[in-house]
Amino acid sequence: MDSIIYLHDGSFEGLMHAVAAAVKSKEDVQGIYAEKEFSPRIFDTCIQIKTDSQQSLRLFEYLKKLKGNAARFAINGFLSEDLQVGIHLYWLVRQCLVYGAKATQLYTHDSIRHLDKLSQKVGSEAHRFTGLIRFRILEDGLQYGPFEPDCNVIGYCAQHFRERLKNQSWILHDIRRNHALYWDRDSLQSIDIDESFTSHVRQYGEIPESSLSEAERYYQKLWKSFHAAIANQERKNLNLQRQFLPQRYWKYLVEMR
Amino acid sequence: MKTADKLKILADAAKYDASCSSSGSSRKAAPDGIGNAATSGICHSWAADGRCVSLLKILMSNECLYDCSYCLNRRSNTVQRATFTPEEVADLTINFYLRNYIEGLFLSSAVYASPDKTMADMVDVCRLLRNKHKFNGYIHLKVIPGAAKELVQQAGFLADRMSVNIELPSEASLQRLAPQKSRQGILTPMKQIGEDFTGFQLERKKSRNAPNFCPGGQTTQMIIGASAESDLQILNLTEKLYSKMSLKRVYYSAYIAVNDEPLLPALLTAPPLIREHRLYQADWLLRFYKYQSHEILSPAFPNLDERLDPKAAWALRNFDFFPIDINKASYEELLRIPGVGVTSARRIVTTRRIAAIREQDLKKIGLVLKRARFFMTINGKYLGDRSLSHHHLVSAMCKVEPPVAKKLLHGGRQLRLF
Ligand code: SF4
Repeated sequence: MDSIIYLHDGSFEGLMHAVAAAVKSKEDVQGIYAEKEFSPRIFDTCIQIKTDSQQSLRLFEYLKKLKGNAARFAINGFLSEDLQVGIHLYWLVRQCLVYGAKATQLYTHDSIRHLDKLSQKVGSEAHRFTGLIRFRILEDGLQYGPFEPDCNVIGYCAQHFRERLKNQSWILHDIRRNHALYWDRDSLQSIDIDESFTSHVRQYGEIPESSLSEAERYYQKLWKSFHAAIANQERKNLNLQRQFLPQRYWKYLVEMR
Repeated sequence: MKTADKLKILADAAKYDASCSSSGSSRKAAPDGIGNAATSGICHSWAADGRCVSLLKILMSNECLYDCSYCLNRRSNTVQRATFTPEEVADLTINFYLRNYIEGLFLSSAVYASPDKTMADMVDVCRLLRNKHKFNGYIHLKVIPGAAKELVQQAGFLADRMSVNIELPSEASLQRLAPQKSRQGILTPMKQIGEDFTGFQLERKKSRNAPNFCPGGQTTQMIIGASAESDLQILNLTEKLYSKMSLKRVYYSAYIAVNDEPLLPALLTAPPLIREHRLYQADWLLRFYKYQSHEILSPAFPNLDERLDPKAAWALRNFDFFPIDINKASYEELLRIPGVGVTSARRIVTTRRIAAIREQDLKKIGLVLKRARFFMTINGKYLGDRSLSHHHLVSAMCKVEPPVAKKLLHGGRQLRLF
């Protein structure tokens, strides 16, 4: 028998719409993917979804109304960029239709446990980066924070800093996805960052010399020496340090470079 | 002396402090201010010893008048000395904070000039940060024993959290090792902070305008292994500090032999890291699992077993309490099973409501089966090995200790090689 596969445009709305359509079809759906992530095999029957935001909103509203974790599973599942998330959400919705909000706590169900894991992964990475982002303060006071998260957590991080640093202007820059958000003390917007600037940051983990002010160098140096001094040599444990702070996060950390 | 040099000396001098958590306070961002305090702690980095770096942890000064025998900064030692100005500390804090290096400031100090002068300078730092820099982030202040009541109160209005170190687990040890400090000098501010904390909390319930006093509560710290107290004495004291003084946290700090001193363990003695770890586990049981100290230890067995998590040790001693059936036990009973934590116990309870849990579900729920299996049944079936004698059961449990403890045991052995 053919496997039925739903394909969408890769946006959150596209994903929601595809899941809604798949559930409604009452067929035995085998997969839900973003088009560009999927190459069909011989026996796949692919159904292309043309995103209709009305349809996706309907499902999302339903999940939100359920309370529990359903809406969070959907959003964080999407942000996790897990390739299989579509089919897991499909199963989540089907379980919710039977059990209601309780279904999100059905840890014995593989899809739900997986969504819970993804959701936690996104949540904890977002939380982690609220600590790990390092701002470089430019001459004019603008703060620039480059980082490379595994999941797409820039939105969560921006939410954190618009509370904490709401009277400063700053830029968060996800170098991996080349996506930057700019807070001008009043509103948040997506902006494009100069390409040569970005590639310098990507290559060296630091902004170009010409943008590094005296003060910025001074405080970076102080921070590095503080970080070195605070470690207890008698209890030195680099493995433990690496366990908490995996090396893939070091690139933009002033103190680890 | 340049700020950079002072920072090196005074960060180095502060590193023996155990507490690093910045959680427990929540301070909303003010409309014209910088920063807020997050309810759940944020780690900003990890130091080479594997500890989380969350706060700018420094001493105001290490030019100490006192001569506590366990302390590197005591007067009789020859070490480099430095003292920050309040402006320097405030400037460092705000600049580190803006760059998101830190969650806030953790300021402690040696006693220079006098307890009052020291405390007053520390309060000055807070004032500069709060008023001049409009800093709304986290501040943890160590209270200097013997400082005037008014200063302690002023500090409370500015800081998120305060702590008075209890230093050693008994008065006798304090007298012996820190003769210039007194039990009274420590307990008086502790009590005062506790009373002001509760008092202003009540006021705030009545009126929104009442000032916020030390919203993150107070903590304390004691040194483990510098004196002879048993773990039972330490846990009893801990329990009292939680119930009588309503402390938020008690921190333990494995004694690092820094001074050549006849009253203390010899230089180069390895710090009792495993013991510290077991004490933290026992403390965890007191705070989150509703154990009482007399359940964990008794005068006949006054010390924690280094090989075993205290919860497993309790379960092994009270083996008649088990096995417990996963589908029938109450939440509290589930928590007593080694290998079942708060998360998995909660999951068991919610999952059960939908359908009875089956054997193949256990791992999915997240309990650690290789530890739990000796203490539970599932739908009447026992997953452990009934033929094991108690003795063998104990060694089986030692084998399945979680990796952190194993690493510590291993690391401890390495340390002793020096
Ligand atoms: S008061 Fe005692 S413990 Fe504190 S710095 Fe001075 S000598 Fe050290």
